[in-house]
Order: sequence, then C-alpha cells, then structure tokens
Amino acid sequence: MDNQEKQFRLNVTRRHFLTKAGLGFGSAALGSMLFKDQLFGSSEQSNLPLGVAQFAPKAKRIIYLFQNGAPSQLETFDYKPLLNKMHGEELPASIRMGQRLTGMTANQEKFPLVGSTFNFAQHGQSGAWVSELFPNMASVVDDLCIIKTIHTEAINHDPALTFFQTGAQQGNRPSMGAWMSYGLGSENSNLPSYCVLLSRGRGNGQGVYSKLWTNGFLDSLHQGVVFSSGEDPVLYLNNPSGQDRKSRRDMLDQLAQFNAESFSQFGDPEINARIQQYEMSYRMQSAVPELTDLSKESDSTIKLYGADCLVPGTYAANCLLARKLSESGVRFVQLYHQGWDTHGNLKNDMLMQAEDVDRASAGLIKDLKQRGLLDETLVIWGGEFGRTNYCQGKIDAVNYGRDHHPKCFSIWMAGGGIKPGVVYGETDEFGYNIVKDPVSVHDFHATVLHLMGINHEQLTYRHLGRRYRLTDIAGELVKGIIA
Amino acid sequence: MSKHLSIISNSLIVLQVFMIFLCFVDLSALPPLIAYIGKLHPLLLHLPITLLLLALPLYLIQNKYPENDVLKNIFSFYLSYTALAATLAALGGLLLASGEEYNANTLFWHKWMGVTTALIAHGLMYLQQARYNKVIWNTALFSGIVTMAIGSHFGGSLTHGEDFLSLDLQQEEEVSFPPLSNKTTVYDAAIHPVLQSKCITCHNSQKKKGGLDLSSFETGFKGGKTGAAWVSGDPDKSILVERMILNMDDKKHMPPKGKAQLSEQEIMLFTEWIKAGGDQKATVQSIPDSILLKNLVMSVRAASSTEKKAKTYDFKAADAKTIQSLNNPFRRILPLANNSPALSVKFYLKEQFSANALKECQSIREQVIEINLSGMPADDNIIPILNEFKNLEKLNLNGTAITGKNLSALKANKKLVQLSVAGTQVDSKSLASLSSLPSLKQVYLWNTKVGPEEAAKLNTSYASIKWDIGFIPDKAERLKLTAPYPVNRDKTILEPGEKIALKHPLPGVKIKYTLDGTAPDSVNGIFYSTPITPEKVTRVISMSVADGWLNSGTTDYTFFAKGIAPDSATLLTLPEPKYRKIGAAGLIDLSKGETGNLGLYWLGFRENQMKAGFHFSNAPMIKEVMLSIAQNTQSYVFPPTMIIIKGGSNSTDAKIIGTFKPTLPDKHLPNATLPFSIAVKEGNYKYIEIEAKNIQKLPKWHNGKGEKAWVFVDEVFFY
Repeated sequence: MDNQEKQFRLNVTRRHFLTKAGLGFGSAALGSMLFKDQLFGSSEQSNLPLGVAQFAPKAKRIIYLFQNGAPSQLETFDYKPLLNKMHGEELPASIRMGQRLTGMTANQEKFPLVGSTFNFAQHGQSGAWVSELFPNMASVVDDLCIIKTIHTEAINHDPALTFFQTGAQQGNRPSMGAWMSYGLGSENSNLPSYCVLLSRGRGNGQGVYSKLWTNGFLDSLHQGVVFSSGEDPVLYLNNPSGQDRKSRRDMLDQLAQFNAESFSQFGDPEINARIQQYEMSYRMQSAVPELTDLSKESDSTIKLYGADCLVPGTYAANCLLARKLSESGVRFVQLYHQGWDTHGNLKNDMLMQAEDVDRASAGLIKDLKQRGLLDETLVIWGGEFGRTNYCQGKIDAVNYGRDHHPKCFSIWMAGGGIKPGVVYGETDEFGYNIVKDPVSVHDFHATVLHLMGINHEQLTYRHLGRRYRLTDIAGELVKGIIA
Repeated sequence: MSKHLSIISNSLIVLQVFMIFLCFVDLSALPPLIAYIGKLHPLLLHLPITLLLLALPLYLIQNKYPENDVLKNIFSFYLSYTALAATLAALGGLLLASGEEYNANTLFWHKWMGVTTALIAHGLMYLQQARYNKVIWNTALFSGIVTMAIGSHFGGSLTHGEDFLSLDLQQEEEVSFPPLSNKTTVYDAAIHPVLQSKCITCHNSQKKKGGLDLSSFETGFKGGKTGAAWVSGDPDKSILVERMILNMDDKKHMPPKGKAQLSEQEIMLFTEWIKAGGDQKATVQSIPDSILLKNLVMSVRAASSTEKKAKTYDFKAADAKTIQSLNNPFRRILPLANNSPALSVKFYLKEQFSANALKECQSIREQVIEINLSGMPADDNIIPILNEFKNLEKLNLNGTAITGKNLSALKANKKLVQLSVAGTQVDSKSLASLSSLPSLKQVYLWNTKVGPEEAAKLNTSYASIKWDIGFIPDKAERLKLTAPYPVNRDKTILEPGEKIALKHPLPGVKIKYTLDGTAPDSVNGIFYSTPITPEKVTRVISMSVADGWLNSGTTDYTFFAKGIAPDSATLLTLPEPKYRKIGAAGLIDLSKGETGNLGLYWLGFRENQMKAGFHFSNAPMIKEVMLSIAQNTQSYVFPPTMIIIKGGSNSTDAKIIGTFKPTLPDKHLPNATLPFSIAVKEGNYKYIEIEAKNIQKLPKWHNGKGEKAWVFVDEVFFY
C-alpha cells in the first residue's frame, strides 16, 4: 500500500467515525429517534435536535409569494396623500438625508415627488388602506398583517433578493427554505420539503437564479426543487415505455445495494443523499400526479383563483399548486412572480401585474381558510425592496416611474401565528423614512423561524470554522405581529 | 500544637475581633474597593456550610478511635479550617450588606446567625483541642449546625426572595390581569400587573434594590435612593420612565440587560399614565376611548393575553420505538415539538391508505392530538376508530369519502377543537350532533352538502362554534378568461407538415383567431376547430370566449417553418459580452428566444455590426433568407437599417445576392419579434454570409438620441 492510499484509507476511517459518532449522540433525543430515515448533520453541527420543532410551532408550513422586481409600496399598501398634494415638487433634502441612490437615478438633476395614480380606500374592520389595484386582497384584509416598515440593506435586485432569501447579500449561504428543511425536516417524505414555483408577469422583469433556493453549505437534500412551469411540473416522472413500476422498484433496490456498498467504502454522505433522492423520486411518481392534476378542479376553485389557475406556469396556477403542495406537507413553497420592476411605465405595468396576482393571492388565503389550514400555514407576500417617492425620468400626464428604495416598503403576512387585521409600523408622510417600528430583513427571518418553532439563535451549522445562522449575528423577534 | 495550627489560630482571633467590630459600625461609607471584597461572600459561604456539616461524621470516626493521634490531629486541622472559612464568609457578608439594599429584618437575623456560626466554629476548635466533656462538645456542634442552617435560610431568602421555597406553582405563571369592572383603576388594570411581571422580583418589600419597592402604589410613589419613582403629570422628570428608555448598554437601564424588557407599548403606557397624573384613582372607564392612555391599557392587556404560554400535556410520551415502528412514508407521526409528548398523524398517498393504517395507531391513541386524513379514501367506517383518540384536538377529513353517517360517534372526542370536512358529502343534520362537544370551536364546511342557509342556521343555533362554509362564488360576477395558447408553447419552429394546435384549459371555451395580424374581436376572426395549416411564417393572434365569462385578452404567436439546415455557423463579429452566450450555433439551433427576455437565447449587437457566416456542405438551392429580429424601442432595440446577404462557395468568393432595408419605427412601438424575409438570387450555395447594420445614431424623438441602437437576433432560416 503506497503512502497516498494509506492516507486516503485513514481519512475514510476518520470520516466514518465522525459520522457515526454524530448520529449516536444526536439520537438520544426523541426527535432524532424518529428521523433516522433522514440524513441530518451530526449533532456537532447544530445546537438543536434536528428534524423537529424546538418548541410548539404556530405555523407548520410556509407559502412565500415573492413579488420579484419590487412592487411599489406607494401604489399598494402605504397610502401617502401628501405625495399627491406635492406632486412634481422637489424631494426635500431633509427627508432624503443623503440616502445612496442607484446608478439609474443618481445622476438625475431633480427628484420630483410623485403621487400614486391609483386611489386608496380603507377596508375591513381593521380599516387598513389598500389601493384599488388589489380589490381582492382588500376583501381579505382582516386576515392580513401588513408590515409597512420593512427595510433592507441592498439597493439592487440581485443582492436584495439574495439577502431576503439567504440572510446575506453575497449568495453563498443556504436559503430560508433550506434552513427550514434542515431544522424541521420533511412532513411528507414523498415530496421535497422545499419546492420552488416560477412565473413571469407582463411588467418589466428581473431574473431569478438558482442561488436563491440553494442549500448553500447544508446537505444537498435541503435544496429547493424547482417545478417546471410547463404541463408537467416535474419532468421525467413517468417510467420509460416498457418498464413497469415493479421492474423500476427492482432496479432501484439493486442500485441502492451498490450505493450502500460504495458508502461503506468511501463514507461520503452525498452517497446516502443520493439513495434518499432515488427513493423519493420513486414515491413522487405517485405523489405528484395526485397534486398536479388540474382537470378536476371545481368551478368554485376556478373562480377563487381566477381562470388562469388552469394555465400551467401562471401565478394563479402556482398559487393553486402551492396550496396543494402545502396541504400535502411541503414545508416551504417558494413562489417567484417576476415583472414588478417599474422604473418607467409604472401605471400599465402595475395594472398588468395586479391583474396577475390580486385574485390568486387573495384566493389562496380564502382557500386555506375554508379548509381549516390557514392557522397552520404562514403566507408571506412581498418583494425585495420598495420604490422611491420621487419619479425616475420624466413625469407626464399618464406615466411615471419609480427607482429602487430600500429604506421602507410594505409586505404582508397571514395565517399561522400572525395577528390578523393589523397594520404594523409607520412611515413618514413622504413614504421615505420609517417613523415607528422598523423591521429589518433579519428581524423578519427571526420571526418566521420563531413561528415555525425554532429559535433563530440556535439553529446553526458549523462551516469553515464557525457556526452560521440564517440571521447570522442579528435579528430580533417582531413581537407586535405575533398572535 | 504545630506552628501551622497556631498561625491559623492567631489569625482567627484577629479576624474574629475585626468581625465583631464590623457588626457595630456603620459601613455605608466604605471605599469601593473594600466594599467589592464583599462580593466574595456568595463564593465563600458554601465552604463553612459543607465543612461544618461534615464535621459530624468526622467526629464520630475520631470518637471511635480516641487513642489515634493521627486522626485527632487531622480533625484539629479540619476544625481550624472550618472556623477560618466561617469567619471569612461572615466578614464578606458584613461588607456585602453595606453595599446593597435588603430587607432589614431578614438581614438582621442572617448577620447575627452568620457571626454566631463563625464564633461557634472557632469555639469547637478549642473544645476539641482541650478535650472538654462530651455533653458540652455535642451541644456546641449541634447548635453550630442549627445556627448555620437557619442563618443560611435567611441568606437564601435575601437573594432569592421569601417565597422561593414555597410550593405555589402559580408563581411561575405569567402575571394575570384582573378582570375589568367599572371601578378598576388604570393602576390596577395595567400598571401594577406590568410592574409585577417585569420589576417586582428585584424591587419588592424584601429586596428593595436601590431602595425602591414597587410592590404597592404607596411604596412605589415614595421611590428609592434617587428620589420619587415618578412625578405626577411629568414623565420627563420621572426616574421610572427615564430608566426604561435609557440605552440598553447603560448600566442604569431598567430592567437590567438580560432580564425581560418592557415593550414599547408598555413604556408608552407608563408615560401616558404619569402624564395623566400617575395616581391610583383614575378608573379605566372614566377615560374616553379617544385618549391614547385608554388605548394603551387595552392593548397592553390584549398583548399579554394573546402571548399565551405553550400548552402543556399531562399524558406520558409514547415509546419512541413504537412511534418509529409506525412511521413510514405513507403514515407520518410527528411530535408537536421536541420533548413534547403530543403527536400528530398524517397519511399520504391514496393508494397506500387503508382503515387498518389508522387502526394501527391505537397504541399511541393517548398521545395523538392531531389526525390528518385529507384526500385519503377513508369512509364512514373510520369514524368509530377515530373516537378512541380521546385527546384529539384537530381532525382533518377534507376530501375523504365520509358521508356523515357515523359522525355522531365523534362525540366521544371531548377535546376536539377543530374539525375540517371540506369537500365531503357531510350534511348539516349529521353535524348538528357534534354541537354538544365541549371544546369544539371551528368546523370547516366548504364544498359540502351544507348550503349558506343551513350554515347560517347552525351558526345561530350553536353560536359557540364557528361553522365556516368558505368561499361561495358570486354567480353574477363575470371574470375575464385567460387567452388561449399553443399546445406546444415552446415550439414555434414547425417541422414540414406540422400544424398549429391551440388550446384552452377550461371546458366550454371557444377560441377565435386571425392570421392577418389584426386583433380578433366579436366581429373579426375565425372560430378555431381544427389545427391551423401554417405558411412559411404564420402569425396567429387569438382570444378566448365563453358564456358567463368576459372575453380574454389576445395572445400573439409567430411560427416559422423549419428551413434548410446549415452544417455550421460562424460569428464574424462579436456580440456584446452579456448577449453572446448562445454563440453562432444559437442562430441555427431551432430554438427561438422570447420577446420579453432578451437575456436568454438571443445575440445582441451594438458596438459591432452583426456579421455571421453559414456553411452548407451539399450546396442546397436557396432562394430566401429570414432573420428573426427583436424590437424593444424603449430599451434601444431596433430593427437593422440594412440587411446584406452574400452567397458563394466560401467566404472569399461570396458576392451580394440580396439586400433589404427594413422600415424603422418613428415612435415607441410595442415589444415584438419581427421576421424579416429577404429574397435572394436563387442558386446553390455552400456559403452564405449575413450582415445586419444597427442604427448608429438614434433619431431625435428617442430618449437616447444620438446613441447607437442594438440589434438582437435569435434565429436565422434558409428556404
């Protein structure tokens, strides 16, 4: 045996020992006992028993309706009549306070304030202001908690999106859904615990990238699984012609044997992950068709989400699919709807985008509620930042645009553990700065984890010599929105 | 007596004299460094406790062998150290007492018993050396231990509070707000409960940190060392508020860092209350609703009541092995949380379900609080199985095959809170039998036999339960249809003989389309019945129409017939770096880009004019060349000013065989993909070169006037 090979064998033994030791200690807790069929990091990685909520969760599952491109808060939920009064006047320097601007408006000579072209009205018992763009969301406003004071650190799409999804702007960390899968495990082992659904609106679009649903340094088992937006949401699920389910089973059993042998030789945990993935795909062959068959939807469901819920790849179809996936125990369903980047042509873009999302978003809330699922499902709606109160480019009678604004914007949350019918936080009259109750992205993450039964300070993973968290070294619970 | 022992003995005498001296002098003005030594008291005090207690067994051993000198000597040393430890602990205690505020009475007893213990320990040392008679010795040892025990108890009461040892479990609970009556004062309704939950552990009648006792209105009003806790009507001058709003890192911030903090709402409550007088008289009822204070009282009370503690269960956890043996991919048993005995059971995959799968869970029936059978083919026969789960709180039967026949058997599930039967054949009669369930709060009835009138009746008859029938579509509301789309949306390049099929997912929808570039409407257009036979380029604009729905918008798809395929393609000029991913091959890969996404599947030219060569080894006959070009005038993407086609057998002998000058937009036009067809001199070519010139100076009307425009190409066809 030459020296190199000796070194290799020694390493294998060491790795084996560590893996086994980890599992041994971790399995002392009841939680881990139940999840031995899953691959979790060894106990040294985390402060928590993995695969089970740390304390009684208020929500079991999340559906995140991400509005990609950043919808304007000033045309949706943050009503600022002063902007209409001061339409065309210059943004006072005392309000802007030297805020950094994007390259798109930094060289603009003037910053004329621009009021919303859409009217606002108060709705529901909570009396929350909602713009006329969202008549359906307005009808469920008493189920929503609108946060008007979320703020972010990034001013461009990619870093802002990455920050929202992974807690860091650079994009090398696990995403929210991966952390959930890592911390809570899967409810339904026949489906991925983290699914991603994409749709594109007709407004000015911005891309989404796979780094937004990455597992980062966590086990690849926790990566988000993107469903295709075509007629077959999960490709290659059908058996090849001439092969039946039994022979597929036999083939997989043989393959698993080979893989198990290979694992015993090399000890690479990725081999076990692969065995699990094959097994899950096999069960997905039954589980997925049950979910994605839209042909049997009742008339009432179609009216609830809008007619486009039957067209695969639309936002409405994704909302309906999200409800079904969530109902079937998928921990984290992440939707992205593109097209909210309204630098110019705001009026038309917003109208088209609202037409896509309003009915389906509200429909999802109503649908979860009527099935008794809203109290255990957390629904989140919002973009990566807000938009400026001043106009980008020229204001004319019919059109205007808004640039990126990180200092305040509106999102809403509803369902599991969220106080319904609440408007949280206040912005100034210009809709530029936060006056009361700021919520940072880290605070948002901390709160979401809390609702899922995890203390954000304790869900950690050791990587490159230190422990990492979704909230890294920040994050305070937003108690005011927790029921 | 050894030298060692005599040193200890002498130091003891000095220390004890000093100790007794300290008992009688006022220590309030000690230099801080000396006072700091007092902080060692908690560290030292456990030593004499242990040593003194162990003295008893050691004495018994020594007594058994009275002649053994070694044992005797050891015991002498032992006792001297016990006395030393007791004395040092007492000294520390005396110094510590000077720096902090404690309940004077308890402190008095603790001080004197501590000092006595030290004195007795010292006495024991002499008694043992002098071999006094056993009665005196025994009495001294016993009284030393008893004094020490009682003294320690007083000490514990000082630091942990008087009621630390009492077995009142209520103490652990969150502070409860008294119910509101028309006589409840603001102080009682909210101020006192908040003080109680956040301040009183340190500021009570016993502990009085900083001299402040907040356990009653009077003592609180009197304040502490720095003066009154609040000044009626003036929150700015009130120390109570000041301490709450100080920076967290400030030492004076209250409650101290690490303790439960006051919420912003609670701080505002104190501010407003003090502003309104800070008295004990104002009742909640006397304040008008419009006043902020009233609002704060109510919301602080509400916030606390909703932050309920997690429910605890008094049943035992199930055996982990039992749970593990029941767990499989089709029946998932999960604990509510780590270390919680409560379990939920959920079933997956219809074809794997049988009533037996549920029956097998009876070994954990005590622990199961949630069962989810949604979508499973479970029928009425499962209800009798379900009623054995006595602790069941949440039951989901959505979409199951139950008819409601056995539903009344669920009356045994006394703890049931939520029942979901959406999408089943359940009727209101069978449901009414459940109204006697004491805990039942919500029943979800969407899409069942229960109509709106029956639901209303249930809601009035059994008002403690929320009977929810969910969304009922408004028959009069007409929604907009979605537009139709090609069956194969991604394939807009057609094989010879392939037809264009359109579809709409909703049954009963008719599709109307045009092929001439005009928009279909109620007059214009043809109804779609069979797939459309395409031309070389076919533009299909279509819409959908159905009774009871509003017409859809239109969709616009352009289809291309697959032409003669070149063997290879070469880029003779480079596209811009961000828009060259697909390379030359992308122009002939039979995959079209999307109008709305120029970042993918397109080549974008700006600094260089597009120039590409195409090779055909078998020199086919070519008479037409077609370019698919993007138009997005807002983003500076225009058609080329000129397209030049060269042909020949290779790049050196190729000659111009056709040119084309597209019409350029003179205003902003909708985004589109435009096919430009160029007729070329018919012939057999091995090589064809295409050049497309972009606008070098954008016209005046455009916001980028004077700048270069882009040319975007995604595919090239040869016919």
